[in-house]
Amino acid sequence: MNKGKIFKLAKGFRGRAKNCIRIARERVEKALQYSYRDRRNKKRDMRSLWIQRINAGTRLHGVNYGNFMHGLMKENIQLNRKVLSEISMHEPYSFKSLVDISRNTFPGNKNVVIPPRKVAI
Amino acid sequence: MATATVSTLSATFGTHCAISHNPKSQFSQPFNLNRFPSPSHSHSSNLTFSPRLPLSPLPKSTESALAQTQTQTLSPDPQSPNWEPGLFAVVMIGSRQYIVHPGRWIVVQRLKGANVNDKIALHKVLLVGTDTSCYIGQPIVTNAVVYATVEEQGLDPKVIVFKYKKKKHYRRTIGHRQPNTRLRINSIMGYENYPKVTMDDLNLDDTQSEDSQS
Repeated sequence: MNKGKIFKLAKGFRGRAKNCIRIARERVEKALQYSYRDRRNKKRDMRSLWIQRINAGTRLHGVNYGNFMHGLMKENIQLNRKVLSEISMHEPYSFKSLVDISRNTFPGNKNVVIPPRKVAI
Repeated sequence: MATATVSTLSATFGTHCAISHNPKSQFSQPFNLNRFPSPSHSHSSNLTFSPRLPLSPLPKSTESALAQTQTQTLSPDPQSPNWEPGLFAVVMIGSRQYIVHPGRWIVVQRLKGANVNDKIALHKVLLVGTDTSCYIGQPIVTNAVVYATVEEQGLDPKVIVFKYKKKKHYRRTIGHRQPNTRLRINSIMGYENYPKVTMDDLNLDDTQSEDSQS
């Protein structure tokens, strides 16, 4: 690609990498390689984020993520983690009903520790 | 009409625009909006939502289910929808799941064989929720249908696929625009007879009700 496109992609780079073609070209190539790699990583990262959010949401109700998902799979509820994390954020009562369904299906292990509610002094 | 509570839904998945939730009552009210900070905007583009502001007028559709609305071309108040408040559904399109609200648009992978202004019925409805109740499908809510109209068959913004091996004199540059389809969701119907979970069914003990009122 020609210099104009390189500089267009090099906007916001640090120092000479946005102004001088020799340095900009290297940095832009690196940036494009990273974006190629990270388009694949983004899917992994997002799934991990969703799982963390679902975990947080279910632990409010005394169930951990593993048991929750196991209960859902047993009930043949095929909501994916993306949607479950959104529901846990924005539709708390729907999420609670899902947690109840899962808990009834799979009571799970008895070792889940609900952290004691912190009382302001 | 749009309030300041920008939902993180859009921030997570919106490549186009942010939505803002109307303050909803009861069921759908998030009990603590500040608990989850808005994630960075660079994350995935699987889901997009239309802004709440340009709410489309009630569709003058030709479906038999809405036959009675044909007699009145415009409802008396175009802002008040004729569906339950806080209605949403989780629908599966192209093996991806989307949270869908009537009156808004979503962008999905290109539906081959669909032309602009085609009416589409989506049958894989996994969950339907309203302000007061929730219909959880196992796996789908039977007889629930989401009606949508194809608004536009376009292309995603271009991504540059750059492959490079160092010291081996190998580099390839390819531009790619993924075809997509924009759907305007008209209505969600057919879920009424499915077993539902209402607010009373949830055992809200004291600790829960404290959270919900904060």
